[in-house]
Amino acid sequence: MIEFQFLDWFWVVLFLLVTVGLGVAFYRLGKRSESDFFLAGRELPWWLPASSVYATHTATDTPIWVTGVVYKYGVAGLWYTFFAAWCAISAFVSTRIFRRSLAYTQAEWNTIRFHGVGAEMLRGWISGWQVFMNMFILGWVGIAMGKVCEYLFGWDLWIGLVLFSSLCAIYVLAAGYWGVIMADFQQGIIAFLMIIIVSVWGIMAAGGPTVIADKLTTMGEAWRMNPFAFTGWFSGEFPVAWFITMMVIAVIGGFGMGTSIDWYVEAQRIQSAKSVRDASYSIWWGTALVLTRNSIWAAAVLAFYVMFPNITSQSTYEMGWFRLGFEYLPVGLIGFFFAAIIAIHISTIASHLNLGAMYFTRDLYLHYFKPKASEKELVWVGRVATLILLLGSFFYGLMMEDITSWLIFALWLMAAGVWLPNILQVVWWRFNAWGYLSAWIANLGISWLVVWILPHFNIIPSLPDYQQFWLLMLLGALIFLPVTFLTKPEPMEHLIKYYVQARPIGWWGPVKREAEKLGLLVHVELNNKEVKK
Amino acid sequence: MKYIKRDWKPGDADEWTKEDWITIIISPLCYILLMIGTVLSFLLNVLGFILLAVGIFLTWFMHWVIDPKLKVISSEYEKKQHEYLEKLERNARWEEIHG
Repeated sequence: MIEFQFLDWFWVVLFLLVTVGLGVAFYRLGKRSESDFFLAGRELPWWLPASSVYATHTATDTPIWVTGVVYKYGVAGLWYTFFAAWCAISAFVSTRIFRRSLAYTQAEWNTIRFHGVGAEMLRGWISGWQVFMNMFILGWVGIAMGKVCEYLFGWDLWIGLVLFSSLCAIYVLAAGYWGVIMADFQQGIIAFLMIIIVSVWGIMAAGGPTVIADKLTTMGEAWRMNPFAFTGWFSGEFPVAWFITMMVIAVIGGFGMGTSIDWYVEAQRIQSAKSVRDASYSIWWGTALVLTRNSIWAAAVLAFYVMFPNITSQSTYEMGWFRLGFEYLPVGLIGFFFAAIIAIHISTIASHLNLGAMYFTRDLYLHYFKPKASEKELVWVGRVATLILLLGSFFYGLMMEDITSWLIFALWLMAAGVWLPNILQVVWWRFNAWGYLSAWIANLGISWLVVWILPHFNIIPSLPDYQQFWLLMLLGALIFLPVTFLTKPEPMEHLIKYYVQARPIGWWGPVKREAEKLGLLVHVELNNKEVKK
Repeated sequence: MKYIKRDWKPGDADEWTKEDWITIIISPLCYILLMIGTVLSFLLNVLGFILLAVGIFLTWFMHWVIDPKLKVISSEYEKKQHEYLEKLERNARWEEIHG
C-alpha cells in the first residue's frame, strides 16, 4: 500500500477536474450531429487523432504487459509489441483506401466494398461483434485499474473499475468523440511526460545506463540488451520462426483492413481526420509514439531487472515499472504519477465507449432498426448505447478472471484464420462477400479443431502459436478460395463505383479497365502521358 | 527525369506508383530503427544513437517522397467528398440500392 500526501491528492483531483471539464466543454459541438458525436465532424488535423491513437493504446494493462515480456526476454521482448507496426504500411495503403470510402465503421465499409445480402450479413455480424468486443475491452482494461487501486490503496477490485470508468463516461456522454479526442490530447501529453520521468528515474535509481550494462554483463545476462536474442530457429520459447511470423502478420497485414484488432479503433481516427493526408499521418505518427514509448519502458524494465533479478512470479515482475514509480519517486510526484495512470486508463475507456456506441448507433439502430431517425435522435441513441456499454463493462470486468482464457482464444481465433481474407478484401477485386463470410465461419470451426480438439485426442501435436497461425491460414484458404470461385463476383457496376471512389491497391485490373471504358478514370501510362478514354 | 516524382497532377496521383512502394518499404524500417534505436540510446549504447539517427533520417526521407503526392490526392478528393457523403447517408438509410 502507498501512503499519499496532500500534494499527491492535489494533483489527482486537479487532473480529474481538468480532464472531465475539458471533455464536457465540447458538449455543444458533440450534440450537433451524428457525425460530430462519433467523428468530430471529420475536421481534425492529423496530430489530434495521432495523439488519440497513442493515448488509446496506452492502457493501464499496457505497462504490465510490456514489463512482463521485457523482464522475461530482455530487449528482444519488444518484438511482442511490434504487432502495432501493421500501421507502417496501413498508414499509406489501407488507411488511404478506407478514408476515401468515408464509411463510419468497418461494418459500413463492407456494404460499400461488397453488395447485396452477403454485404448486409457482414455488416450485421461485424457490428454486433464490435459492440461485444468493445464492452469486453472496457471490462478488461477497467479491471486492470481495479487491480492497480487494490495494490495502491487496498481498495476492493470493483471500486477502481467503477469509479474511474464512470468519471470518464461523464464527458463521453456529454460530448461524444469531441470529448474523447480533446481529453486524449491532454492525457497523451501527461502520460508521455510521466512515462519518460518514471523511466529515467528508474534508470538512475539502478545506477544509470552504464552501471546497468556493466551489471548485466557481470551477471552473465548481457544478452538482455540484444534485440535479436532468440532461442534458436525453431526451438525454445522465442524462436526466429516466431519472429518471422510476427513480422509477416504485422507488416504485410497493413495491406488489409481488420488484420489487427486495433484496426477497428484506428478506423474511427482515420475517418475523423480532415483529409486523406491527415488520416495517413495520424495513424503513422500515433503508432511511432506507441513503439518509442515501449522502448522507453523497456530501458526502465532492464533497470528494474538489475535491481530485482530473481523474481520468478510473473504477476510480481509484471508490476515492475509501476514499482519504479511508486517506490522511487518523491512525494508529490507520486500523485502526479497516479494522475498519469488515470490518464492512460480513461483515454482507453473513453475511446471504446464511443466506438462501441458508434457501431450500435450507426450500423444497428440507424441501418436496421430506424433508417429515418433524425440527427438529434441518433445523438441520444449514441448516449444511451454509451451508458449500456459502461454498465456491461462492469459486469464483464468483475467476471474477467473466469473468462479471460476463453476470450483470448476468441481473439486469437479472429486474428489467425481471417488474416488473409482481411487482406484479399482490399487487394483483389474477385474476392466476394461469400468468400469472406465463409472464411469467418470456417475459422470458427477450424480454430477449435487445431488449437484444442485435435491435440486433445493426440491426432496432431499441440502446436506453438506461430505454427497454428500458418496452419489456420492454409486450412481457411482451402475453404474460402473455392467458395469465392464457385459464387459470382460482386456486380461490376458496384465494383466500379467503389473503385473510382476508393482507388484500392492490388489486382483490380478488370474493374479499372471497365471504369476507363466508361470515361470515369483518366488512364495514366508509364511515361506519365495522360490519355482520356 | 528525376527518379522521385514530386510534382503530381490529380489524375496521376491517384495511381499506385513507385513512390508509394518506396514508402511501403521504408516505413516498417523506420519503425524498427526508431524502436531499437530508442531503447539502446536510453542505455547510452553508441549503436543505439546511430540506429536512431538513421531512423530519423529515413522518416524524413519517407515524408519527402510521399507528402507531395498525398497533398494532391487529398485536395482533389475533398472536392468530391460532399457528394460521396450524401451517397453514404442515402445508403445507410436505404434510400439508395447498392450497385
